[in-house]
Amino acid sequence: MLRRPWWQTTLGIVLTAVMLFPVYWMINVSLTRDQDMRKSPPNLFPLDPTLHGYTTVLGQQLPFLGTSLVVGLGTVALTLVLSAPAAYSLAKLNPRGGGAMSFVLLIAQMIPAIIMAMGFYTIYVKLGILDTVWGLILADSTIAVPFGVLIFSAFMRGIPDELLNAARIDGANSWRTFTSIVMPVSRNSLVTVSLFSFLWAWSDFLFANTLDGGGDAKPITLGIYAYIGNNNQEWNSIMATAVVASIPAAVLLVLAQRYVAAGVTAGAVKD
Amino acid sequence: MRTKTFLRITAVAAAAACTVAGLSGCSASSTGSNSNAAKGTYTFWDPYPQYDASSAWGKLVAKCGTDAGVTVKRTGYDTSDLTNKALLAGQQGKSPDVLLVDNPVVSTLAKSGILTDTGTNGLSTGSIAKNILGAGVIDGKTYGVPIGANTLALYYNPKVLQKAGVDVSSVKDWASLTAALAKVKASGGKGITFSGINTEEGSFQFLPWFWGSGAELTKLDSSKAEAALDLWKGWIDKGYAPNSVIQNTQTTSWQEFQSGDFAFGENGTWQKDSAKQMNAGVITIPAEDGGAAPVPTGGEFFTIPVQKDTARYAVTKKIVSCLSSGDNVVTTDNTLNYITASTSLQDKQLAADPSLKTWVEAVQAAKARTGDNLGVRYPVISEQLWTAVQKAESGSASPSAALQAAQQTVASKTSN
Amino acid sequence: MTTDTTSLRPSAARADAGAETTSAPARARRPRAQRRAQLTAWAFLAPVAIYLVLFYAYPLYKNVELSLRQYTVTSFISGDAPFVGLKNFQAVFTNPTFPPAIWHTAVFVLVSIAVQFALGLALAVFFHNRFPLSGLLRALFLVPWLLPLLVSASTWSWMMNSDSGIVNAFLESAGIGQINWLTSPTWSLIAVLVANIWIGIPFNLVIMYSGLQGIPEELYEAASLDGANGWQRFWRITFPLLRPVTAITLLLGFVYTLKVFDIIWIMTKGGPAGSSTTLAIWAYQLGFGNLLPDFSSAATVGNVLILVALVVGLVYARMQRRLEV
Repeated sequence: MLRRPWWQTTLGIVLTAVMLFPVYWMINVSLTRDQDMRKSPPNLFPLDPTLHGYTTVLGQQLPFLGTSLVVGLGTVALTLVLSAPAAYSLAKLNPRGGGAMSFVLLIAQMIPAIIMAMGFYTIYVKLGILDTVWGLILADSTIAVPFGVLIFSAFMRGIPDELLNAARIDGANSWRTFTSIVMPVSRNSLVTVSLFSFLWAWSDFLFANTLDGGGDAKPITLGIYAYIGNNNQEWNSIMATAVVASIPAAVLLVLAQRYVAAGVTAGAVKD
Repeated sequence: MRTKTFLRITAVAAAAACTVAGLSGCSASSTGSNSNAAKGTYTFWDPYPQYDASSAWGKLVAKCGTDAGVTVKRTGYDTSDLTNKALLAGQQGKSPDVLLVDNPVVSTLAKSGILTDTGTNGLSTGSIAKNILGAGVIDGKTYGVPIGANTLALYYNPKVLQKAGVDVSSVKDWASLTAALAKVKASGGKGITFSGINTEEGSFQFLPWFWGSGAELTKLDSSKAEAALDLWKGWIDKGYAPNSVIQNTQTTSWQEFQSGDFAFGENGTWQKDSAKQMNAGVITIPAEDGGAAPVPTGGEFFTIPVQKDTARYAVTKKIVSCLSSGDNVVTTDNTLNYITASTSLQDKQLAADPSLKTWVEAVQAAKARTGDNLGVRYPVISEQLWTAVQKAESGSASPSAALQAAQQTVASKTSN
Repeated sequence: MTTDTTSLRPSAARADAGAETTSAPARARRPRAQRRAQLTAWAFLAPVAIYLVLFYAYPLYKNVELSLRQYTVTSFISGDAPFVGLKNFQAVFTNPTFPPAIWHTAVFVLVSIAVQFALGLALAVFFHNRFPLSGLLRALFLVPWLLPLLVSASTWSWMMNSDSGIVNAFLESAGIGQINWLTSPTWSLIAVLVANIWIGIPFNLVIMYSGLQGIPEELYEAASLDGANGWQRFWRITFPLLRPVTAITLLLGFVYTLKVFDIIWIMTKGGPAGSSTTLAIWAYQLGFGNLLPDFSSAATVGNVLILVALVVGLVYARMQRRLEV
């Protein structure tokens, strides 16, 4: 399959370029002056670029990037802590009603986000955690946890029982087996779930808007609002915010892609 | 071993559960919950997220707070979110102390019961022009005071008009406007841009034409209303207005005007500085048969939501009065590019900047959308109006059919 | 639901595919050991169970309650809305917006997942060949996923503008005329479909690629030795072995696409004239899209949406069980 790799590389580059064209366009708009925004036909390249968007963003938005990072990492941690043990149980420990639980987890993902957000608002106001970073982490994890359980359990099902039986014979209890054997073997699914939950939390807007809109620590997605005034929107700044916000996540993506999912659904496929 | 295992596992489960619960319970963070329990901190919500704490507006709000002896915690939200946030907060009894909202929303919030009227909160409204205050008056009670007013007019690009050989003073009514647009198109320019989107902005932009034909919001399917919609549809069909108006917000419409190809752009007071930069002029929107068309009032209102601790109203009143009167409000309105709401202050603004003449006159002739006792019927009517306009603009229904369907829906919804 | 997710009947816990022997040897039929094993299993599951009740059950309950009562703005605040049973549902089903909304939802969801899946799979197979730069390019394909939906949707909106959009500029330079992507009732649904497919490709690519990783190389080698060409290898080996992964991807794709809201709202707001209104958009429009929120109707449409998803989920579960037996 390595015949003529250059042909495939060229095609790959072309396909990637087509796919990323809107991202390029986003960068283009971020460098466009206000009066050129609606030029018809539009400029393929920003012929009269302005750095106004970027100077504004770098001056104002960097703290929000920090908050987004905290929220993202927190969501990853919480998602892993919640979903990995549950998946282990569903995959290997045969709880009674496990099938029902899996189904419920599927249904949980069917609830539209706006309904969740409104429900959370009421809970958060009562608990006093509105406009907090912790509250947002909790809310963002609801996007990722059911999916996490799904991925982990699919993978864990593929772990050979001999491995676990051997541990049991050696005297390990379920928890020991979980931490010393199951989790290390599940490293790829761990990376996959971490990646998904981080990205979902990073780009979340609805929960942030409903539940953390008033706080001092806002994620970057809300930082965009600084450029959406009541009568006027500064599109070059909005797009510049998006570009700046995408860079850390893109770097993460490129690094993690190697580890993601190699064999994550191996269990499902082999069975 | 059995007990140990069991205990260990329970411990894990308990720890996990406690983490979840603890996250909920223990983080009564000081990064700004809307709790009004802390005396001396008053919450302030406004629809200006573009102004942060270091902006002139942010500093003014803080100053009025300290002048009243308290700290003000201000948050800017997107204006379209603010109604729902206010309702959700009000439901939980966590309304902010001061709520600055877009004027057509005041009647909705008042009806929901989360706002206090001037009888309760003690705000004085005597100096405010009646037509601007109108949006805040429901059933004889006043629920807010305006921060300022803005409205719509017709900006024009002198270069494009000159190239087309159109004299702007000849644009006096619909016929002459359409004729001017024809000339502009013939000379290679683009005619007029406005916002005909299916949101409140679309209704806002359509109203001067709607009212300019003599139509009333209580009767959407009158022949006069049809005439107004025919006007817009005719422009789109003949190419005098671009297809993108169907999707334009007022901002994107302004961006189109800024590109320099359009002769006319319908937009608001808030663009006057930007207009000056591109040397655009402004005229009032003409009515069908001449004269200035009635235009809707824009601009936000200060409202004071209901609080459990009624003693707070005295301080809140001070904060609001500080922001809405005197030199403070003139400065704010100049920043926002609004016209002040009281006649005497309007004279002050005019004296400082005579180019505001057209705007001041327009604002003085404007009327509130929720006025004429429409109150909460206005949102229902407005939604049907922008739906009808969209149907006609996009060609999926004729203007008369669209308006008839709109009126029927309004009738069935408001009769419930 | 994975391939070997057990059915809803507890006794079918036996059907743990691939593992004839159960994992816990203590499952010798002694009731005590069995009880301990169950407790262990549920202890691992408990955090998620509590989490589900707190964070999913409550909003769902609130939503159902909103739909069974008639809330006005006033009673939303005061909390004393009258109970009206299924009247809101009746009103929704008889509303003239309902049939088009259902139709648009069906078209939007089915076309989205079909095309996203096909393209995701095609790309996964393409990248599976591991040519130079394939890793980097594959990672770059995921970039659309990073962008907040507000930004992606706005960018597409920009690109598809009738007059100043780059898409129309390309079309005009290619000789095709201007298409009113977002402002024409005929094209609006297609426009949002294109944007949604673009956003959905990365997810499909990642999952299908990982599925491909799980297929042993030996199978391909054996097939090559037998003289199978690329196409045959795909249809005889790859596709069948990918069936479980395909099933999850399509099901999740369905569930996620049904909920899609931001993209359509930002690009067309469901218009013009309701031509791109789906159930999710309609729900939002009722509750937040105008100046007088109608939370009861919005909640009702939201519940209809969940019911549709539920029905499909049940059908899927039934099909799964039938395939296993």
